Amino acid sequence: MRAFHRGFRSFRRNYARNLIVVVLLFVCLTFSMSMLAVKLAADSQVDAIKTYTSPSSPGVGTYGEINVSSTYQMQQFQQERQKSAAQRQAEARSLTDTQEFANRVQDLVPEKMTDQFSQNGDIETYDKVLETNITMNDLTNTNLQQLFQLRQNRGNSQEGNSGGALGMNQNTFYFAGNTNGASASDFTTGAKKMVTGQMFTYQDYVNANPVVVIEKNFADQNNLQVGSTVEGVISGQSGSGSLMELKVIGIYETVQTQQSQNSSGGLSSFNPAGNEFYAPLSVVQKLNATPGYVQLGSYYFGSVDDTGTLKVAFKKDSAGTANKYQFATDYSDYQAIADPLLKAKNTSLIGLAGALGACALIILLAMIIIISGRTRELGVLKAIGSTDSQVIAQYAFEILCICLVAIILAMGATALIGQSLGNWILPKANTSTTSSQQAQSSGPAGIAGRFMSNNNLYKEGGRFTAAFNGQQQQKAAKLNVVYRGSLFLYGILILIGLSLFGMAIPLIWIIRLRPARVLSME
Amino acid sequence: MAEQDILNVKDVSKTFQVKSGSVKAIDDVSFTADKGQVTTIVGPSGSGKTTLLYVIGSLEKPETGEIMVAGHDILSQSTDLVKYRRENVGFVFQFFNLIPTLTALENVMLPMDLAGVGAHEQKRRATEMLEKMGVGGRLLKARPNKMSGGENQRVAISRALANDPDVILADEPTGNLDTATGRNVIEILSALAHEAGKCVLMVTHDESILDVSDRAFHMTDGDLKEIPA
Repeated sequence: MRAFHRGFRSFRRNYARNLIVVVLLFVCLTFSMSMLAVKLAADSQVDAIKTYTSPSSPGVGTYGEINVSSTYQMQQFQQERQKSAAQRQAEARSLTDTQEFANRVQDLVPEKMTDQFSQNGDIETYDKVLETNITMNDLTNTNLQQLFQLRQNRGNSQEGNSGGALGMNQNTFYFAGNTNGASASDFTTGAKKMVTGQMFTYQDYVNANPVVVIEKNFADQNNLQVGSTVEGVISGQSGSGSLMELKVIGIYETVQTQQSQNSSGGLSSFNPAGNEFYAPLSVVQKLNATPGYVQLGSYYFGSVDDTGTLKVAFKKDSAGTANKYQFATDYSDYQAIADPLLKAKNTSLIGLAGALGACALIILLAMIIIISGRTRELGVLKAIGSTDSQVIAQYAFEILCICLVAIILAMGATALIGQSLGNWILPKANTSTTSSQQAQSSGPAGIAGRFMSNNNLYKEGGRFTAAFNGQQQQKAAKLNVVYRGSLFLYGILILIGLSLFGMAIPLIWIIRLRPARVLSME
Repeated sequence: MAEQDILNVKDVSKTFQVKSGSVKAIDDVSFTADKGQVTTIVGPSGSGKTTLLYVIGSLEKPETGEIMVAGHDILSQSTDLVKYRRENVGFVFQFFNLIPTLTALENVMLPMDLAGVGAHEQKRRATEMLEKMGVGGRLLKARPNKMSGGENQRVAISRALANDPDVILADEPTGNLDTATGRNVIEILSALAHEAGKCVLMVTHDESILDVSDRAFHMTDGDLKEIPA
């Protein structure tokens, strides 16, 4: 304690010289600490992005889905295109039931495969989805009706009110089925929300309860409410057994459309989202007559870092399917968000190393100057009976005081300039787009849009999710340099490291010093 | 060694290596010094007298010989030299060698602090000593650069006495002072020997100091010869 007291006294008494060292250290330490703060912020944000925490905070790049690959779909399309209409009709007439079923499921994935993949230890959540077109008795799809009328007016009278090749008519509705309505992507993204009644549950899926959730405007137009029933036609069947009665258990509204109407003064009652039905997967499978098949298996896994392992696992699971299926992830979304942060982190690491190097150099040079100017004092201390350790402790404490003052000031300054430095380091607005944006800009519009495009991942929702994705991009573009406890701990480590480094010179000097030589000097 | 001989130097030699070869700073020197006496070694610059003082103070190590100070064989491996310097000898230098950032009081308290004396006791003893030396009052809180040479040397003597050593080793104590002040310092050192019973060993090239010495030696090129009384 006495040595510490002497060190502190020496620090106070040599204030002018120590102040210069403190100022120089303060500048470099402020830069170091700011760089460290930027690095920690980037690390933390990247970790938060790449890690699945909870269903409400799933991260980015932690999503993958098994679906039919776009390459395979394109091959099928090319093959079909080469056939004439007569050929196709002839083929259709000669199909056996098995062949017809195979045709029906050729763009779908066997549930067995998606179930098997869900056994992987890295998988956090698992859902199965089937999106398809179902014909409803006595209900009119106003969207398609308008579309067909438009085409008719343009002279395509030969197709009448039918959707031609797509096999649609004005009674066709878009059905989205999954294992639990609450986890349907349009609802998790916030693009749609329940207004009345309730969502179907996992039990509804397990028991194949014939329930459905419909859109608010659609319900109003058709005088439907919770408790009403509607009739769906099972694909490929006819007669009395071809109908399935579905009970309306909930009504939702499309938030994005609502907003669009408000901003444009409520000009249009056109609501394409109004023709979408949500039902348990097992019910949609029945209506589509494709039991055991889904459009996709949807998974959230622990971290972006699991992507590689899962891809290998999928390759193993899908061996022998001639690349028909793919495991698509939102890794590109992760990259678009994380890359600027990782670049900022790398830049800050270089800055940190440089600034710490400068700090080390300053303390080293300062100590050389200080010690060489106080050699006589060292000699006197030894001559009057100081042990080496007493002298070393005194100087160590003096250096510690210098570093402590500098680091306290630097921490304060870091709190002020850390964010600005972070903004400066963060690469300017990234021009790359996320997979969802690519899909929205290039994917086909209309009712079959999503399932004709493999670019758009299920988790990103349907056609009305621009706000959601925009929010994510906005969130990622900003580096939030917050003052955290770990920064303080790192500050202490830097303080100790610098002090020890600064002590290297006095230590050698003190041990090697011969007082007789020093005291003889005039 | 006589009963009262506090300092006994026997056959001590010290050689320094220089570029041109080796220089024998102390050549087989033997002498004794007693308690209550002022022993002076005079000689020209470079004769080896300061080296002899530093050898006795354990700041230099001789190649050969024996040195017994207050019962300690300072050339023995078992002797704690730091403790010896702290408790058995007190140095007074030509250039005072006070710590410039410390006040007069703190400079005197420093050896006591190193010896582990309590803060209150340090202050009491240092104040008392400085007041005896005539540097009390406002000078207690003065730094060396605010005091005259004489005042600085009196503070240095007080520091040498801080831990009540048996031997005071004074290296040219008047070398940096004017005649009157130098005389005053010599009187203080003389009083320390004759009144406080210390063994004062002074080295100087000022032969006028010999009149206050009880024993005197002349040193030339490392060779020590006693000057008859």
